[in-house]
Order: sequence, then C-alpha cells, then structure tokens
Amino acid sequence: MGKEIVAMLLAGGQGSRLYALTQKLAKPAVPFGGKYRIIDFPLSNCVNSGIDTVGILTQYQPLVLNEYIGNGQPWDLDRLYGGVHVLSPYQQAQGSDWYKGTANAIYQQLAFIERYDPEYVIILSGDQICKQDYNDFLQFHKEKNAEFSVAVMEVPWEEASRFGLMVADENDRISEFQEKPKNPKSNLASMGIYIFNWPILKQYLTEDENDPDSENDFGNNIIPNLLRDGRRMYAYHFEGYWKDVGTISSLWEANMEVLDPEKSGIDLFDDTWKIKSRTPGLPAQKIYDTAVVTDSMITDGCKVAGEVTHSILFAGVTVEEGAVVEDAVVMGGTLIKSGAVVKHCIIAENAIIGNNAVVGAMPSGDNKGVATIGSGVYVGDNAKIGPDAMIDENVKDGEERW
Amino acid sequence: MVNVKTDALGILFPNVYDGLVPELTSARVMASIPFASRYRMVDFVLSSMVNSGIEDVSVVVRENYFSLLDHLGSGREWDLAKSSGGLKLYPPYSEKGLGVYKGRVDAIYALTHMLGKKKQKYIVMADTNIATCYDFKDMLTKHIESGADVTVAYVEQELPEGLKKAENISKASIWYTYDVEDNFVKKINICDQTDGVKNMAMNVFICEREWLINIAKDAYMQGKEFFERDVIIPMMDQIKVYGYKHENYSVRVTDMKTFFDQSMDLLAGDNLDKLFNGQTVYTKTNDDNPTRYIKGSRVKNSMIADGCVIEGEVENCIIHRQCHIKKGAVVKNSIIFSHGVVEENANLNYVIADKKVVVSEGKELIGNPDFQVFVAKGTKI
Repeated sequence: MGKEIVAMLLAGGQGSRLYALTQKLAKPAVPFGGKYRIIDFPLSNCVNSGIDTVGILTQYQPLVLNEYIGNGQPWDLDRLYGGVHVLSPYQQAQGSDWYKGTANAIYQQLAFIERYDPEYVIILSGDQICKQDYNDFLQFHKEKNAEFSVAVMEVPWEEASRFGLMVADENDRISEFQEKPKNPKSNLASMGIYIFNWPILKQYLTEDENDPDSENDFGNNIIPNLLRDGRRMYAYHFEGYWKDVGTISSLWEANMEVLDPEKSGIDLFDDTWKIKSRTPGLPAQKIYDTAVVTDSMITDGCKVAGEVTHSILFAGVTVEEGAVVEDAVVMGGTLIKSGAVVKHCIIAENAIIGNNAVVGAMPSGDNKGVATIGSGVYVGDNAKIGPDAMIDENVKDGEERW
Repeated sequence: MVNVKTDALGILFPNVYDGLVPELTSARVMASIPFASRYRMVDFVLSSMVNSGIEDVSVVVRENYFSLLDHLGSGREWDLAKSSGGLKLYPPYSEKGLGVYKGRVDAIYALTHMLGKKKQKYIVMADTNIATCYDFKDMLTKHIESGADVTVAYVEQELPEGLKKAENISKASIWYTYDVEDNFVKKINICDQTDGVKNMAMNVFICEREWLINIAKDAYMQGKEFFERDVIIPMMDQIKVYGYKHENYSVRVTDMKTFFDQSMDLLAGDNLDKLFNGQTVYTKTNDDNPTRYIKGSRVKNSMIADGCVIEGEVENCIIHRQCHIKKGAVVKNSIIFSHGVVEENANLNYVIADKKVVVSEGKELIGNPDFQVFVAKGTKI
C-alpha cells in the first residue's frame, strides 16, 4: 500500500559560512537551543504533522548526522514500513556522482520515493529553525487542487530582494518567480519547502536531469520549468517564527531568541508541538554555592559554579568558580575554567577555555561580531579571542587572536 | 565502559524493603522511588547490569507495580528491548497455581520454568533499595576464581539510622550482616543492631543457574520463604560463600530521614560524581526542554533536572523534572519530585514533595533538619 506523503529532507549542505562549527559535521547536525540539533526541527515537524516516512539526503561530513539519526527512535521514526532513512549518493549501474544540486539529489533518490508510491512528496530544508504544521500545508495543497505548492513568508519590502520571491494572485496562484531581483514585484519569500504531486515531481526531475545546461536546482530550474508549462502552482502563507541559521550571527541570534520565547515567537517549551531530540543520558545539572545564574537555559550534566547570564549551556558544560559567561552559546562538554570571561560568542562542543582567558566581547560601536570557537579547541590560559575571531585550532597560553 | 556480553542472567526484586518508606511506596514500589533529580532507584542496578554486559534481566514484581511498568516500558532506554533476552517483567500469577509471592523463594520458584530454558551459566540477583554503580563483571570473575557456590556483596558501614528503629525490625524488612574471613562469609547474622561498623549485606547473589533452580525447587516444596534466612543460612556449613566487598559510593534507602539526608549529601563535594563513578546510568527520557532560569531567579547549591522553570529562589534543593518554581517563591533544603509547582511567594523549607504537588500562592511549609514535611503525591496545598 502506498503512503499519502513522503518527506525528503535536504541535509547535504556544508554550511560553509558556519566554518568553525561545520568542519567535522553537516550543517543540519549543528547543535541548537540547549539540547537539540537543527535537524530536530524539520524531523519533529514531520512527526507532529503525521508524516512517518522521511528520507534525509546527506553527503557532506555525514558521520555525526548518521549516528545522531540512528534508527530514528527519538522521533518515533523507527517504523516497520516507512520511518527515517539516511540517503547518501550511491553507485549505480550507469555510474556514480555526488549530488550536483538540490534537484539532482532528489533525482538520485527517486527509487526511494518509488518504494512508497506516495501521492505527494514534501521537500524540506535541513537548515531552518521553524515550527511548522506540514499537514496544514498539505490540506492547502489539496484544497487548491495544486500540482506544486511552496511555503512562503511575507518579508519586509526593503529586504525582499535578498530572497527568492513568488508573485501570486489573490487566490494564491503563482504567476512568476523572481530569484533575488533588484526590483521585487512581491514580498512573498520562498522558504524552500515544497509539496509536489508525485508524478509531477518525477516528470520534472527526469526532464531536468536530461538537460545538460541545468544547474539541477529547485529554485533556478524546476520552478521556472513548472511556470513555463503553466502548472497549477500555489503559494502557502506561513506565519510564525522562521530562521535560516546559515551564518554565525543568525545562529547566535536564533539561540538568544530561544531564551525569550514570549517575545521572539520561537517557543521550545510548548507541549503541543514538542521538538524531540536524542538525549545524552547525563545526571541532572548542578548549580553550586558560588554560582549566579540568570535569564539562561541549562541542561543535564552541566556544573555551574561561575556566573551565567543570558546564555545557553548544552549538556555537560562546566563553568568553574569565578568564570563569567554572558550572551553566549556554549555547546556540549565544553569546560570554562576559573576566571575566564566568555561573552557574545558561540563555543562549539568539547572545547576548553583556559584560566582567565577572554573570548569575545560585548558589542561596542559598530562591532557586533560573534566570536566562534570550534569543537575540541583548547584556548590557553590568559589567551584573548577578539569579537570577530573564528578559531578552529588551539590557541596557546597568553596568545591573542582577532 | 560497557563490557562485552556476560554469561549471566539478571533477576531484580523491586518490591523488597517497600515497607521501610511507606510514604514513598504508597503509590509505587521501592524500585520506582525517584532519586537524584532524574532517576528512579531501579535505574542504578539495572544500568549496572547492562554496563556489566548482562543482556537478559527479569524483574519479579509483587504488587503496586504500575509506576514501574510505566518507567521500564519495553526496556529500550537500557538497551534491553531485544528479540531474545532483554527485559521481562514477571507479575504474580504468571504461573498456574501460584499466587502473590510471599518471599524470594516463591518468586524464584515462579521463574524456574523460564530459567530452565535459558543458556547462561550464571545468575546475578539484586534488590533495588541501594543506588550505586555495581561492577557485576568483576563480581562474577571473583565468584568463578574463588570456586564459591554463592557470592554475596556487602558494604562496610555502620548500621543505617533507619534500621536502628525498633519498628523497622519486621519480617518484611529483615536485613543481614556478614562475618567475613579471608573473603569468605563465615556467618550470616539477622538484624544485628549492635553498634559499630558492620559488613552490611546488599542482597546481591551470584550463583550458577542450574544450582539455583534445584535449590529453589527444594526450598519451595519445603515451604521455605526467605532465600537468605531459610535457604542459605541453614546450608552455611555445606557451601562456600564468597563475600565481595563493594566499595563504590552507595545510597541505601532505609527510612524517610536517611532518604532525605543521603539525597542532600549528593549536593556536597564530589559525591554526585562518586555515585555515578564514571558510568552512564540510563533512565526513561521524556523529551524535556532544558531548564529555564528566568531573570530574577536565584539558585544556590542545588541539583535540578531538565524541563523546569525557575523564577524564584532555590537553595540546597533537589528538583526533579518539569517543576515550576514561580516568582517570589522560596524553596530551601527540600526535595521536589517531578511536575511540582510552587506558586508565587510560597515558602518551603525542609519539605519532601512527592510528584505533582502544588503549593499555592503564599503558603508556607516548614520542617526542620530532623523532620521533613512530607507532601503526598498529587496534593494541592
């Protein structure tokens, strides 16, 4: 029996602008919000929307992501029929190739979709922080009797030219697509989330594959081809929190917004739409006598004896007595030693910040830089890391990096 | 470290010593008493078994076991959801003709049919009233090397306060101490209340599977009740009993007062690390959020599980999952089990609040170091 809908989650991106954070892992595997990884959002959205078959397309540094997804059990995606599958490029009779573009990635995995003979396919992006009901989107797609639908967000007109824009009529039917235009005709930005009728997807991916000039990209090739043929294409309006965390500053900002759910609109504490994740199984967090903790989020395995203000500590972080952590995102297993000052920065997993070292600085003047320390990096005693620095190798005692 | 597979079965008795903490076991069994913010008592011994390479564990429940069923589920969190072996629960009446287990002999007898079909050579039996990380692999190695018929584990300690109370000497809560010479147990004493450091039995037994089946069948036919008192003690001159001294940090639940004191001890020094001893203790997870410390909160010397929201003041406390300490509330020297709510400006000192307790706005609950106020599960004050 076929599935009504299958989700294909594009998780191949390197996330090169996250540089120090994505040296050894794919962008969707980047930790987020205290105990999650970015990919937990689309995966949890799938499960909460009733979608139980998800293909995750990976190719860049897939080790961490593969292990994290495992059999999909934390998301209830260990199913007898369907469930979550990690799909890497593979060798085929007529040769082998890496995924050349978003459309080519799905094209190479058509056989996976075929196995479930779905009516619809939803294409998701593995690098967005967003809580979205895909079932509501699907209902819209059905009601419009659409062949293709795209989720769009209204963006301020002055920012519109940074996005791929859908021009749609009062019935939400799309008549034109503008990729980062100088003169936007619309302020409906594509979220990169699409629903296709399965036969349409298959037809256009196959056509695209046979076009030697194509970039094999949904935005640049598939959508224009659908428009060319006058297909029934609709724009689904999404309202709510949505953030592409492609840069260090947007990733830092999104984490900070988690601390203020009432204002920011990203509420991870909402029981009706839980974001699920794989938990590391550490003892409860311990707050010591000398600690001062305020306006922060802390999770299992943390030991806090220092001062933590407006920050997020992931599992197993230690903040020693006399250390100061402010406006910081500190990922799992990192140790911040006594006297260290850590501000306005992202520190990746298992780093060590030495005694009296300084990482980052509060914004002053034009400099709002977010200092970044890569995973496993050792920042020596009394070292100083400037607000714009991206550090992915050890820093010696007393050394300065800007 | 997780060991490779061990040639042993595990058997756990989650109801033993329920009577010592009647407040906490009115709605659950000893095994499912919440402990150390995010665990249940059973998690420690069960995780020790898994970390020692034991992949087949039978849990013999007697009564009041719903909360334990809910906690253990399929055993997946302990990696014990397996196609063969894994975690199995044995309630009473699981065999035709058997009723509620009266003692360990009954319970083991009820398992003999199942035990007869297993392949493992050894059996490791334990209770759930002690939170500690056991090394069953090492214990089994010592058992084999020593050529003993039975190996038992003990802790060198003074008699816990809870066992000094007269009312705790009852048939249902018999405890044992060992006279040990050159690593072998020479004599097993029943409820010895004299002063001084003793070799307190942990009620951990290792023996061969076939041996246990034969002993249990005989003992059951003869109407014997307690394994240690009625079976092992009378055999002492015929068998070799190895005494394994357990040296890891351990917490033994003997009454409410010691439960409170020993829980609070976890906040001191590196006791928490000692309890875990570098091992992973597995437990049921609930997709809780990280805990939020709202602007204006003040937290000192406390252990807090995930899923909480702290707006008020918390000092010297153990807070379990999903609790909400609201603005202006002051909670000191207390243990709050999961889903507790302390509303605005309430004041708690020396309180043990069971699950889902709500303390309304402005209410005061004050105990003292010698006597903690206990609030039963689901109470709204």
